[in-house]
Amino acid sequence: MSRSTITKPVTIDSMGSMELKKHSAGATQLSAGATPPLKLAMPTLMSASNIHKSYRKGELEVPVLKGVNLEIAAGSFTAIVGQSGSGKSTLLHLLATLDAPDQGAVHFQDRRIDNLSPRQRETIRNRQFGLIFQFYHLLPELSMLENVLVPKMVQDGFFSYLRNKRAYKKRAVELLEMVGLGHRMAHRPNELSGGEMQRTAIARALISNPSVILADEPTGNLDEENGGEVMETLDNLREQENLTVIMVTHDVGLAKSADKTIRLVGGVVVSD
Amino acid sequence: MYKLLLSWRYLRTRFIALASIISVTLGVATLIVVNSVMSGFVFEMKSRLHGILSDVEVAAPLLGQIHNPEYHTRIIRDVLGDDIESMTCVVRNPALLTFDVNGRQWTQQVMLLGIDDESFGSVTDFHPYLQNTHKREQFSFSLEEQGYPQWVSAGCPDWTTDSAWDYRRRKFSKIREAETRRLEQEKLYDLAAAEYLEQQAAKSRAWDAAQAAGDTQAPRNGEAVNANYNSNVQSPDTRQPIAASQATFIGPEQPVPRAPEKHMSASGFQHVPLPDQAPDFAAIHAQETAGVEAADSSATLRFAPTHHFNDGKTTREFRKFDPVDPYAKYSPEPAVEDFFDPEKDQYTGIILGLAIAKRKTIGEDGELKDFYMVRPGDDVQIMFPTVGGSAKPISENCTLVDFYSSNMHEYDSSFAFVPLKELQKIRGMVDPLTGDASVSTIQIKLKEGADLDAARDKLMAQFPPESYPYDIHTWQDTQRPLLSAVHMELTILNLLLFMIIAVAGFGILATFFMIVVEKTKDIGVLKALGAPSSGVMSIFLGYGMALGLVGTGAGVVLGLLFVRYINEIAEVVQVVTGQEVFDPEIYYFSEIPTIVSPTMVLLVGLGAILIAVMASVLPALRAARLHPVEALRYE
Repeated sequence: MSRSTITKPVTIDSMGSMELKKHSAGATQLSAGATPPLKLAMPTLMSASNIHKSYRKGELEVPVLKGVNLEIAAGSFTAIVGQSGSGKSTLLHLLATLDAPDQGAVHFQDRRIDNLSPRQRETIRNRQFGLIFQFYHLLPELSMLENVLVPKMVQDGFFSYLRNKRAYKKRAVELLEMVGLGHRMAHRPNELSGGEMQRTAIARALISNPSVILADEPTGNLDEENGGEVMETLDNLREQENLTVIMVTHDVGLAKSADKTIRLVGGVVVSD
Repeated sequence: MYKLLLSWRYLRTRFIALASIISVTLGVATLIVVNSVMSGFVFEMKSRLHGILSDVEVAAPLLGQIHNPEYHTRIIRDVLGDDIESMTCVVRNPALLTFDVNGRQWTQQVMLLGIDDESFGSVTDFHPYLQNTHKREQFSFSLEEQGYPQWVSAGCPDWTTDSAWDYRRRKFSKIREAETRRLEQEKLYDLAAAEYLEQQAAKSRAWDAAQAAGDTQAPRNGEAVNANYNSNVQSPDTRQPIAASQATFIGPEQPVPRAPEKHMSASGFQHVPLPDQAPDFAAIHAQETAGVEAADSSATLRFAPTHHFNDGKTTREFRKFDPVDPYAKYSPEPAVEDFFDPEKDQYTGIILGLAIAKRKTIGEDGELKDFYMVRPGDDVQIMFPTVGGSAKPISENCTLVDFYSSNMHEYDSSFAFVPLKELQKIRGMVDPLTGDASVSTIQIKLKEGADLDAARDKLMAQFPPESYPYDIHTWQDTQRPLLSAVHMELTILNLLLFMIIAVAGFGILATFFMIVVEKTKDIGVLKALGAPSSGVMSIFLGYGMALGLVGTGAGVVLGLLFVRYINEIAEVVQVVTGQEVFDPEIYYFSEIPTIVSPTMVLLVGLGAILIAVMASVLPALRAARLHPVEALRYE
């Protein structure tokens, strides 16, 4: 666990803007001063307060989230459960800054992120968040290895990518081997099973050493066996890399392994 | 990096888009081919149009003249300075050309140019267009001993070895033979007529005697005799029988008088002593006036210098007089060498455009053949006005020494060239007192790359129309209507062909919209992974550019290959369709001319790539504006 105090400042330092760096310095001080021996003692990494979100369908305005509050501790595994249409995916998107809330605020590392410029949000998404989707969303034109490298390609300019390519590749191979796909790196997504694809997606989420993994029904499209494998991989990596995981699922069984379960019903958190 | 990678992968995996850029390829290829062929044709046409026109011309009006050309050339040299490559003086005036085609007269209008042997070739491309290869190398206005070996294919086999001189000698020796024969024949007629008339006179005398003796029954058949004579003795000269019949009424004792001009006028032949004898001109003159003695069969024929067997209006010039010297005619008796012998001598040389003489005829085998109405070695007649306001027509004999063929029908069918000095003399452009000759046109060739229009404007400023009645123009001014028509044709053609590429652009647009829709989810993922909108946009712009590059590259290669093998392709098309694609007879080119301009290829390529990129802008914008959540949710 001591690694978290070391790795985190490193990852935060690698963020682009000066403003963010200032923030990260504060966070470093905070975590360094606390020196938490246990997960539970970790400070709040992410929080959402009074989030409202509604979608407009033609004339009709459909409210999805009606004042959601939650806090995610660093290094924790949070499961967001709820029925279809309860707004759990929307909440995840808002946390991941893919969408902006109508009302309320999302904080990440003590900094409000929902009203940042698109450029800054993109940077945060690219470097701090690892996203995993239900339908894997791998790019069909690229090989597994390339898919894993996509966040790095997005992050770097043309020449800096070429300069760092060797290191990135090494890390990607390492990650693929970690998820048990070291032998399928050159394959295309359509040549792999769903579980393999999802594990590749996990590797992709981890390539830029994010602070948070945001997973949207990672096992939703998989059978029990494959789903179990994926969850196992995720768990292992969480241990190894000291990750904070937020997972949306409708599978209560999966939610049981989480440190904390947030239940959403009709756009409101009913139980923590 | 992902932009390039994805653009490249899309290019490799989306063949539907490749199909849509085939139209780009075809458009580019067509543009290159059409432009190359057109510029080839335009270049050939321009060099032909330019051929015997100088770059810039200072021209006096029709029938007008530029006095003191030395002064003018000096001024021009001062004004244009180093831009001048060379200059020449030309006399140009319209003329009527007349020649015999198998005994019938052919007359047509020509533009007569008096050219300077040495400098004209340096101002225009005149010499390479001459048909006699020897004349190309060593130009003169004299007949050549060399033939025309290049005309073997034109269906004139006897021309290949036959030189102009050979032909002329053969022609006139045959004419001389025939004329000698005819004269002998005439003499026989004369003898027969004299004999017959003698008989009739005897009969008449017998009748007179009978009358005197009182025999009134004796037949009086003098008229009947005359009628018989008319029907039997058919002299080519129709005056002969009349003279003969008149002779019967003059009186039987008197000798039959002959028409004094009988042998000279009708035939144009002159009886003179043998060349190796010293000519007795007094005797010749006496023969001419007396007439009868001229029929002496021992006399050798000599041609009258002008108008041989044309008609009866022979002028009695024994030699060429200097037209500038009005007293030349009255100079002492000419020597034998001064007599004009067409087998040995020629008139002033003239060079005609090939199209003036050449006609098509169908040979015995049904093939089209060339027929030449005149050929080098024949004599022709030109008629033109003297210089100045009160112009008088002059007629002059010339000997055709060569043809020229610039393959510009306009020039080949209208230009005739004679020596400058001769034309100046004949047209009265030489001042008899000072010997200074005027000209009608000063032609200037400028150095490569000199601005013709600027040179023309400078000259116009130097010779303003208020003071100098000259027409100053460049060769392009002369051919302005044709050149601008060709230019407009080329512009419109390019515009239309570029439309093809524009249509291809719309094809790309449609395909791209489809691809963006297909890739919606990938776009969402990229955005979720932190790719900015601009990055997503540049994926599709890059894809569009890659398509444009591939299409243009293929088009350029295809177009250049087509241009390279265009003649072979034309042959194949001809074999397949049976239709002649390119008829060298019409265009005067042996092959389809092509010029590939790198600038043109570059511009066409850049234009096509630009269109492909522009066509991908809208779909790329659409992709960039996709909301990541919407895109991820898209099924």
